[in-house]
Amino acid sequence: MASEKEFISLLNQHQKIVYKVCNLYMDSYADREDLFQEITLQAWKAYGSFRGDAKFSTWLYRVALNTAITFFRKEKRKPDIYSTDCVPDQTEELYDPVEEQVRAMYAAIGNLSKIDKAIVMLYLEDYSYIEIGETIGITPNNVAVKMNRIKTKLKEETQRNNPNL
Amino acid sequence: MVTMELDELKYQLKNKLADHAGRSDADIAALLTKKTSSVIGKLKRSLWIEIICSILVIIVFGYIGITSNYQSYRIYFSVFTVLSFGFLLLLIYLFKRIVRLSSTSLPVKNNLQTIVTVIEEFTKRYFQFTMALIPVCFAFILILLYYDKQVVPSAGVHLARKSLFVGVYIILLSVFAYKFTRWYLKKLYANYVAQLKECISDLAE
Repeated sequence: MASEKEFISLLNQHQKIVYKVCNLYMDSYADREDLFQEITLQAWKAYGSFRGDAKFSTWLYRVALNTAITFFRKEKRKPDIYSTDCVPDQTEELYDPVEEQVRAMYAAIGNLSKIDKAIVMLYLEDYSYIEIGETIGITPNNVAVKMNRIKTKLKEETQRNNPNL
Repeated sequence: MVTMELDELKYQLKNKLADHAGRSDADIAALLTKKTSSVIGKLKRSLWIEIICSILVIIVFGYIGITSNYQSYRIYFSVFTVLSFGFLLLLIYLFKRIVRLSSTSLPVKNNLQTIVTVIEEFTKRYFQFTMALIPVCFAFILILLYYDKQVVPSAGVHLARKSLFVGVYIILLSVFAYKFTRWYLKKLYANYVAQLKECISDLAE
């Protein structure tokens, strides 16, 4: 089917978006794989609603975030914290202060609520407050207020958990 | 060292988040054949099963209602055929809403609100229908017990004792059906709906 091929090709080109959402919302490898599959399926089901007037990446972000936020793990939930299994072993590397900062910030983002994670994700992608508001379904003013709170929260969290940094 | 802020680490964080990307077209194509594990997907499958069951009930009950020799049977099965038909229409309506929901990409907040509305509507109607069936069932049991002498020839004997037994039985079964249905629906959807509502309240202005 032409549309299936077209969808697969588009998703392949933009798969980093799906990986980013999976890495942000899931701790373990197995959960990330499950979420990847779920996002792919939901995107395929909703592909009929994708009109060329919007960018595929924006549309995919919306589908991926909706799926991640409403994704339900049947087994007992693990604490929603950052996992180190995708991060290289620190002892094998030379100490890099920036890398340490990134690690600490990444861990702090992992502790945010599902909604705050979605806002941070779009912010990291350089989406404007208007675009973030459209994707999340809130006003740009609300995005700005939330973003300020999130930045403060992240700063406090990284300082609290890493006093040496 | 001074702790860096989110903006200063944007680029590195973006790269770290995109870690492990690397699936082929074939890998993605294989995923498209898998079954969804979302709650909405499960609700859709459960609605499918209930729609099929309702159709079977309509056919079987309708057949018995038309062909039975006993009048009470004809009334009993005909009424349940009509009720099942009403339930079938409700299930089809909910099914269409869910299909519409899963084939669109709404903003996060609207999506959450729609899912909560659909689940709450489904559980509410399911509960109402189940509860409405209890008195109807018992009314027909009584009709069958006391008025159809062909089916229950001994009806009328020891009437007081039988009435007491049937009364207690009806009360216990009603309480059980009420509690069980509530517990079952709560177990299936309550936690999930609570989590979604928490996300919605996070999005409040």
